[in-house]
Parts: sequence; C-alpha cells; structure tokens
Amino acid sequence: MAVDERKLSDARKLSDARKSGFGLGLLKGMAVTLKHLFKHNTVIQYPDEKQDLPPRTRGVIALKEENCTVCMLCARECPDWCIYIDSHKETLPPKRAGGRPRKRNVLDRFAIDYSLCMYCGICVEVCPYDALFWSREFEYSEYDIRQLTHEKERLADWMTTVLPPPELEQGADLPGQPAAAAASATVEATGARPANLTSSAVEARPEQAATAPREGSFTTEPARPASSLPPQEQKRETSPEDAQPAPGLDTEVKAAQGLPGATTQPEPEVTLGAGRAAESVTQPADTAQVGSDATSAPEGQPPQKTPSVAAEPAVTAAEPVSQAGLRNLGGQAPVARPSTEPAGVAEDPEAAYRRVLQEQASRGSSPQVAEARAKVARVKAERGMARTATPAPATAPVQSAPQATPTEPEPSGAPEAQGPAPEPGPVAPTADEDRTDG
Amino acid sequence: MPEIALTAWQILLVKVLVILTIVPVGALAGGYAEHKVMAHLQHRLGPMYPGGFHGWATTLADGLKFLYKEDIVPDAADRKVFSLAPAAIFVPVLMIYLVIPIDRNLIVEDLDVGIFYLLAVGSISTIGVLMAGWSSANKYALIGALRSAAQLIAYELPIVLSAAVVAMYAGSLSVIDIVEKQNFPFAIWPPGIGLIAFLVFTTGAVAEMTRVPFDMPVAESEIITGPFTEYTGMRYIFSHMFAEMGHMVAFAGIGVTLFLGGYKPIIPWSPLEVVPGVIWFGLKFALMIFLFLWIRPTFPRVREDQLQKFAWKFLIPVSLVLVLAMGAWVLYV
Ligand code: SF4
Ligand code: SF4
Repeated sequence: MAVDERKLSDARKLSDARKSGFGLGLLKGMAVTLKHLFKHNTVIQYPDEKQDLPPRTRGVIALKEENCTVCMLCARECPDWCIYIDSHKETLPPKRAGGRPRKRNVLDRFAIDYSLCMYCGICVEVCPYDALFWSREFEYSEYDIRQLTHEKERLADWMTTVLPPPELEQGADLPGQPAAAAASATVEATGARPANLTSSAVEARPEQAATAPREGSFTTEPARPASSLPPQEQKRETSPEDAQPAPGLDTEVKAAQGLPGATTQPEPEVTLGAGRAAESVTQPADTAQVGSDATSAPEGQPPQKTPSVAAEPAVTAAEPVSQAGLRNLGGQAPVARPSTEPAGVAEDPEAAYRRVLQEQASRGSSPQVAEARAKVARVKAERGMARTATPAPATAPVQSAPQATPTEPEPSGAPEAQGPAPEPGPVAPTADEDRTDG
Repeated sequence: MPEIALTAWQILLVKVLVILTIVPVGALAGGYAEHKVMAHLQHRLGPMYPGGFHGWATTLADGLKFLYKEDIVPDAADRKVFSLAPAAIFVPVLMIYLVIPIDRNLIVEDLDVGIFYLLAVGSISTIGVLMAGWSSANKYALIGALRSAAQLIAYELPIVLSAAVVAMYAGSLSVIDIVEKQNFPFAIWPPGIGLIAFLVFTTGAVAEMTRVPFDMPVAESEIITGPFTEYTGMRYIFSHMFAEMGHMVAFAGIGVTLFLGGYKPIIPWSPLEVVPGVIWFGLKFALMIFLFLWIRPTFPRVREDQLQKFAWKFLIPVSLVLVLAMGAWVLYV
C-alpha cells in the first residue's frame, strides 16, 4: 500500500516536473550543487584530524589472555577461520593425597589474521568467558601482509585500548548491594594486584624458589605462558585451607596472592613489563591506583611481566602439596593486601569527572578515552561505588612482528598458520621492496 | 619616463611571450580552480596538501609529474602525425588569446575581423584531435576523434550563429567595437534575444571544450581518454589538459567580450569608471569560469545520439531564429 502510494507520488512528481517547463530541471540541479558550495564542509582531514569514533567501533580485537580457556568456540565460529589457537594439556597433580590428577588446557598460541578477518564480531559475541573485546584502534596496517597476523602478545596489548563498558542507562537496575560490594572489592583487589604482586614477588620469591622448586613435578614446560591459566582453574587450585582474610574477595584476588608467579610471561619483555611494573609499584596500594575498571582490565598484563625469576616454581608453590610454601605465601601476602574498605568513599560526581579527566589528560590518553573514563568515574561516584583509578594508556610500542610461539603446540585443527618468523620468499616482496616500488 | 623605442617586431615578440606565459599559468590556475570549485560543489574539500595552503600547488605538482613521464609512441602509430598532433591542438588555443580585449588598449591585435578570426581559429584544434586519433592506431582513439569531429561540427554552428547575433547588433566584427556598442543590461539587451544567445553560446562552448555533460569524445568509461588514449607525459598534458583548460579560459574570455560587456563596469555609473577595465574584465571572467565549472559536477554525461539531436534539432534552429529576430530588431527598432 505504502509502496504503491510512493510509486504514485513519484510518478506524479515526474509528470509535474515534465510539465513545469523546459530546462527547469537543469536549473534545479544547478541550485542543488550551488547550495552545497555554501554548506559547511564536513570532511575530516584524516591523518591530521581524527573522527570521534563511537565507543563500540569495531577496530581491532583484543584478547584478555587470562580469561581464555581454550574452549575453541571463537575459532570454530569464525566464518573466515582466521583465528589460530594452539594449546596443550597439562596434567596437574591431585590436590589431596589420593586424589585424581587433573588436566588443564594451556594456551600456546592465539592469533587472529586480520588480513582475513571481516570484523563480523562473531568471535567476540561467542566467547563465553569474556576473553575477546573490541577496541576502537584501527591503524595497524602493515607493509607485509604476514604482519597482519597478530599473535597473542599483540592481541593482549590491544587490551589497553579497550574502553570501559558504557554507563548503565538511566533508570536501569543497579547491581544488587552485596554483589556491588563484592564487585568493587574485586576491582580494588585486582587493582592493587601489582603492588601486592611485586612486593610478594620481591620478598617471597627467593625462598619460594629455594623451597618449592619442582615439588609437584608435573609435566609443565619450563617457560610456559602460565598466565593463560583460566580463572576457574585458578580458583580450584587455591585450596580452601588458604587463610583468606577477606571472605568477600573472589577468584582474582586469590589468583593474585596465591599464584603470583602463575601470571608470568615467558618472554622477557623488559621495557614493557619493567616500565609498567615500576609504575605500578610507585602507586600507593591503598588507593589501588594501578588497576582499572573491572573490564577494561589491562591489569593482567603489567604485573604478569614483572621480572620474577621464580616465576615458574611459583606455580608449583601454589599447589597444596607444598604446604611450607603456601604458609610462606600466606604470611606474606596480606601485608600488601589492598584495603578492601567498603565502597562509598563519596566524592562529588562532577569533581570525580573533572579529576579523572585531568588525570587522563596528564597521562596522554586520547580525549575520547579520557572522557569515557571520566564518565564512568562520575557514574560510580553518583552511585557511591568506590572507584579504582584508570589505567594509563599503552605507551610502549606494540610489537608488530609475530612472536616466536613457544613450545611444541598440539595440532589443534588450525591450518598451518603463517610461519612465526616471516622469511621473504621468492614471491612475496619484502617491506623495503614494497616501499621502493610504491 | 624615458621613451623606450621598440620596433614593431620587438613589441610583437613581447606580446607573444606574454601570451605564451599567460596561457600555461592560466591553465594551471584554471585546473586548480576546477579541482577546488568542483570539490566544494560536491561537498568535498579537494586537494589540501600540495604547497601547504589548501593545496595551491596541486596542478603545478601534476604538471611536473607529467614532465618526468616517459614519452611513449606506440609501434603502430604514425609517428610524425602522432608527435605533431599536440602542437596542432595547442597552438590554435594560444592564437585565440590574440584578440581578446582585456582592456581598451590591452589587446594583442584588434583585428577588423576579430570575431571571424576567433571562431575560425577556435575550430582548428579539432584537426589536431583528428590527427591524434587517427595516428594513434587505437580504436578508442579513433572513435574519440570521430566523435570529437562530429561534435565540433554540430556545436560550432550555434556558436557561430550566436556570435553573429552579437555582430549584427554591434554592426562590426571587431571585438573592441562590439564591447563598446554593448549597453547596460549586458547579455540581456536586446530583450530576450541577448539572453538566449548567451545561453546558446555557453552551451556550445561547453560542448566545444568537450566538457561534461558533452564529453562523449573523451568519455573515460567507454573509450578511456578518446583521442588522447595513447599519449603520455608532456604530450598528454598539452593535448588534453592544457588544451581543455586553455579552451575554457579562451571561451570564458570570448563570452565576456561578446555578451557581458568586456572591460566595461557592470553598471554604467561614472564613479565605477575609475576602476580599471582589467578588474571588470577579471570579475566577469571569473564569473564565466565559475559557470563552466559549476555545470560540470551538476549534470550527467549525455549520450552520443542525444548530444547530436540536441544540437541539430534544438540549438541550431533556436540560433537561426535568434538571427532572424536580431535582424528584425536592427532593421525596425
Ligand atoms: S571478527 Fe574476524 S576473527 Fe572474529 S569471527 Fe569475525 S572474521 Fe573471525
Ligand atoms: S577466546 Fe573465548 S571463545 Fe576463544 S578459545 Fe578463548 S575462551 Fe574460548
């Protein structure tokens, strides 16, 4: 019906136009273009000016590695099959004497080939463990197509650019009070993790390394990317005998104290890790300066890269078998424990907004990111939720070269992915040749 | 001021040199204006980087780029004709400028047969285009050249007839006389006839320049660049870019001279006489150029048969009627 009417009115307009006189259509056309001459031009001069992209822009996919359980859902659902996941299984010794040994997936390689990806977002949607996020960054073009395969280190680096989740809509249900308290406690705790970790890493590690090495003697490779421990596993690993002073804290906190070393990267990323670690240590622990909003979550990365030599043994230390190590830890950790003071250090919302805005500006965040974080702070202040300071933007350059993937990966169904170290073949030009050809 | 005695030859040399510099510079400026005006008409910005300020050096950079390009002559081409064609296209464009009066005394030669010369010289380029198309040994070039020739014949007539209308009104073929005879509501007086003649002239001029919407000869979506398909480097810009731009500038000058009162102030009011004629000419000239540029992004290209039909079945009859009407006006009014 509506279509018919539109057709009719179009026909009428056409016949009107034909009747309206010779050449009038031409004049109308000229008037249209002339109008545009005087309209304000909305072109954005891209490299100089940047568009304020919407917060949900599909720029690049970031991987929160410690959340990934290697469930393979994303790789299977990806219509382009451009997610490569390699993992291996580890057998962990039983928790108690006489128990059953447990198995666990460890992520060896997680790569997304952005030369194939069509940005459909299915992987982000499908991930059941919130390990994949959209980031607004879109400037990662390369001279060599092989460089467009981002390995997990690079994907993890993108996490620093993921925006915090949007504010709740006006009138939306607030999170339940106990849950909110727990959540904020978690946030604080995770926020304080760096301080916690580094102090315990510095103090507790040496003895740890001395007392606990290889005690569990399970089949782990020496330089395993242990940060890929899924949270669930971490939770299970931390035995209930652990004295946990703050009952409200949940897994991540336990992970932080119980398994500090479990979050160590095999690659000695000295500049990146050390830089961030230093930054984190300087922050006062009680205000939990270093963490982030619960989901923007780069909090995993910096501490994990702290140079604790005893990284690997610490995993074993976390096993209940080594009681001495555990007690040791238990004695150490609470010292640096974040004050889990109840939420509600009330601050004027506007003041919070401005303060965070300034804070972000001084850290060199982009205006959009700064504003988004400031808004989050304002909402939190309005609702009386304690706010953790927001993370600094990633200052370290993102490595572009695919990293050499560690260890013999289990064939996990992914096709032979691009060789980690690109050798210029006879066909593919090197980046240099590309440029000169230009 | 010491008298500088120059022989006629020396004066001529200076004039020729001036024209030789004005035309390429004008073509470059026209090219830049075209980029920018068209961009803004289409809600874009156009070039913004070359030269720093709003991309003022774009066409300069383009020209330099063409200078460095290899000059390629196809194997099957008729080498001599192929290399001569750009000159045959470009030199007549230069010659048009000889009789355009920028001010009362600023004209290279005030020929008695000014208009006749203008129209005659303006059509020579087409021979160059035919040479280029035929010698390229390329079917696209040949099609383009034939289209170009057919178009020229079709649209030269309306131009000639509308110019004849003006000449009848002024009673002279000299451009200076024509400008002097024109009265205030330029382009409208004698009522109706002048305006229609102006429109006919503009339409014909756009077609002569083979610009959109009459650019079938170089319709890039079907015949690449028409007659200039095989040209590269300097030959290409001289035969296509400079020729088109030079033609546009020349036709703008002719239009101002014949219909818009040339170097005269826009209103016959004595204080305005103080402003030099060059400035009036420049203003009207800019208006004319803008009109050409304005047409281009507005209209789609017409089909070859529509193009011919429009000329033979509409423009030429209209201009014939105009000539009749003007004759009556001159005789009885
Ligand atoms: S967004 Fe890319 S990687 Fe993710 S599922 Fe779609 S195509 Fe695959
Ligand atoms: S990223 Fe998510 S969906 Fe993909 S393997 Fe990891 S947990 Fe599974």
